[in-house]
Amino acid sequence: MSGPGPEERPSSPFVELIGGRLEEWREGYVRMSLTLEPHHTNPNGVMHGGVVTTLMDEALGGVIASVRGLETMFAAPHATVEMNASFLAGARPGDRIVVEARVLRLGRRVAFGEAEAHRGDDGGELIAKGRMTFVIMDLRAT
Amino acid sequence: MKDERRRSPFSAFIGTEMEELREGYARVGLTLEPRHTNPNGVMHGGVITTMMDSALGAALGALRGEAARRDPHATVEMNASFLSGARPGDRIVVEGRVIRMGKTIAFGEAEARRNGDTLIAKGRLTFAIRERGQ
Repeated sequence: MSGPGPEERPSSPFVELIGGRLEEWREGYVRMSLTLEPHHTNPNGVMHGGVVTTLMDEALGGVIASVRGLETMFAAPHATVEMNASFLAGARPGDRIVVEARVLRLGRRVAFGEAEAHRGDDGGELIAKGRMTFVIMDLRAT
Repeated sequence: MKDERRRSPFSAFIGTEMEELREGYARVGLTLEPRHTNPNGVMHGGVITTMMDSALGAALGALRGEAARRDPHATVEMNASFLSGARPGDRIVVEGRVIRMGKTIAFGEAEARRNGDTLIAKGRLTFAIRERGQ
């Protein structure tokens, strides 16, 4: 079974709002990017933590969808239940943030994944690392 | 009141409002709109993590006062549990409380509620306080 094609990738209105872009989508791997602008900052003028947690959540939700398949996902959506994020370095307007996500394990009711955020392409500085747990909701069982 | 309400451009951009801010405590609110959702049409998790980070960053800023401007603090860890979802039209309120402030590290917790009662998310955040000149 293959994941969904590029033309049917799900995207979130919230991620579109903040300017996150899907760069690569294949079964088991998703990469997203965002170029930081002044409206992505906190009162200190650096990247707001919510920007990178949003991108990690989106990339991981997407990579799990890529493995489960879209039809399965919409019949039994998965939802984030736990997120741990470490913020290792900051970023400023003009910086390009690249987030990669991978599935660690996909079970029947629970899925685990991890995400890394780097500054710039080609393995720039690691600025954040996240681990997330998703629950798969069986809507037909209720 | 002193100028402690330094606005976060990102919070303003997504539409959160600071409802209350005092030393070690902040409450932020947001009425969910379709633009805050994920592909399933429910609230995107990033909305809550953003509000938690904003509330606690501000609560700590209010507690540290002038020192926060001189030596900014930055989030280094966040753990969040998403207990329930929310939909457009729901009012989300996040309260952040500083639970301990040391010289170089501060700890806080945040709770998110839907429409004034149901607890929908809980978070724990750790901040690093940068010493001047380092």
